Amino acid sequence: MKPLNLIALLFFLGGAVWALTRSERSVREIQAAYYSAMSPFLKSGSKIETHARKFLEETRHSKELEIELEETREQLGRLRLIESRFRTIEDENKQFRHALDFKKATHFDVVAASVIRRNPTTWWQTVEIDAGSNRGIGTQLSVLSNEGLVGKIDRIDNGGERSSVLLLTDEKCQVAARVEGSPEVGILNGQRGGLGGDPMLRLRFLSANASVRPGQRVFTTGRGGVFQPNILLGTIESVEKGALDSEAFVRPAVNFANLGAVFVVLSAES
Amino acid sequence: MIRYSAITIFLLLAAFVIQQFLPAFTGLHDSRILLVQLVFLCCAVTVGPPTMLILAFIGGFFWDAQCALGPHGGDSEVYTQQVESMRFGYSILLFGGMGFLMQGLQPLFKQGKWQFSALLSGIAVFFYLAAEYAIINFVRGDLVLTRSTVLQMAYTAILAMLISPAVFWLLFFVAKNCNHSINPEAGRRTRRRSAY
Repeated sequence: MKPLNLIALLFFLGGAVWALTRSERSVREIQAAYYSAMSPFLKSGSKIETHARKFLEETRHSKELEIELEETREQLGRLRLIESRFRTIEDENKQFRHALDFKKATHFDVVAASVIRRNPTTWWQTVEIDAGSNRGIGTQLSVLSNEGLVGKIDRIDNGGERSSVLLLTDEKCQVAARVEGSPEVGILNGQRGGLGGDPMLRLRFLSANASVRPGQRVFTTGRGGVFQPNILLGTIESVEKGALDSEAFVRPAVNFANLGAVFVVLSAES
Repeated sequence: MIRYSAITIFLLLAAFVIQQFLPAFTGLHDSRILLVQLVFLCCAVTVGPPTMLILAFIGGFFWDAQCALGPHGGDSEVYTQQVESMRFGYSILLFGGMGFLMQGLQPLFKQGKWQFSALLSGIAVFFYLAAEYAIINFVRGDLVLTRSTVLQMAYTAILAMLISPAVFWLLFFVAKNCNHSINPEAGRRTRRRSAY
């Protein structure tokens, strides 16, 4: 081997060892620096994408839009009626709660955000949202959609305008879960190699003779300090019983292939 | 030579930017064009070992900076069996390994047979993904290998193979503009043929 190649190899191995021995904190600092360098490109990329989407929307046939407008008007009227009914029920509910001295139900303080893009990784399931520390978002906060739990915040960008969400479908996203109508609790997480199209979740550590059946819903327990209680996770598809414990396969409540608006839970009062 | 090496580093960094906007093909089992790995592989066959190792370090380091996940957090009494994270920096070694694999084909490439390198770049991407997946399985325990995962890796490799001629064309163009020959033997043979 040529001396120059040998020196290069030694430097390379030294560099690799240096990188492999970085602490969690320095890794986060490196990531923050990387994403702040990447930020201008990501911003302009998002702008171009928005313009392109607008252009495509504008080119849609006006007749189609007229029909859509008519349908939306009808829906709006219907929703107004529902809303007025909802308000009445809410007022009644408030009065009853006050009268019975009910504890306040779990209330979430949330920030709405849009999913900008999926991160370009093969094995990890993460998406980027357009809200960061400038809107009070920090790491480990849970992210919801109107269908159920989406995941949790994994990383915040330096600029404070974006953050990365680790999806529930990722193997690393673990959630303490309970099965509706049964005393069974377990840990729910994504499957390794579970692809985006039709992902399934694994609910592990159920008791060996767990009385759970397909169709039962799975909710968060609220234990573990990351996720709030009673958030819908999905529905049991099948159950596999083992000698020591059982495992259930859960279809997620959220459609991860079509994630648009999400909500980051800033705080929750119980 | 130095100018060409510097440009390959720049191309690798540019690939990181473009990679952000390349979506996954949901119809092809979520496979995607791994442009960063592809540019690295194509560059690796055209440069010497020292430059290849610099490219491998940059590629692996930034790839991990882009993809590394944070700790799970939460109460360790509830989450007793947390899923292990991949160590930051492991991609540097994977990139290095792939780079040496490509360097093995350098004699053929220097003869002007870049098609073999294009083929190998796809195979190397497959090995890269397979090695990465094997490490994940080793670190986290349980060997889980589904048909979808294999197909995802295969389609990603095929996509890399299909795009690689374009990357090679770009590298030939850059080399020409830098007055640097990346396949000198092929050039010599062409000159000899035209002299006859």
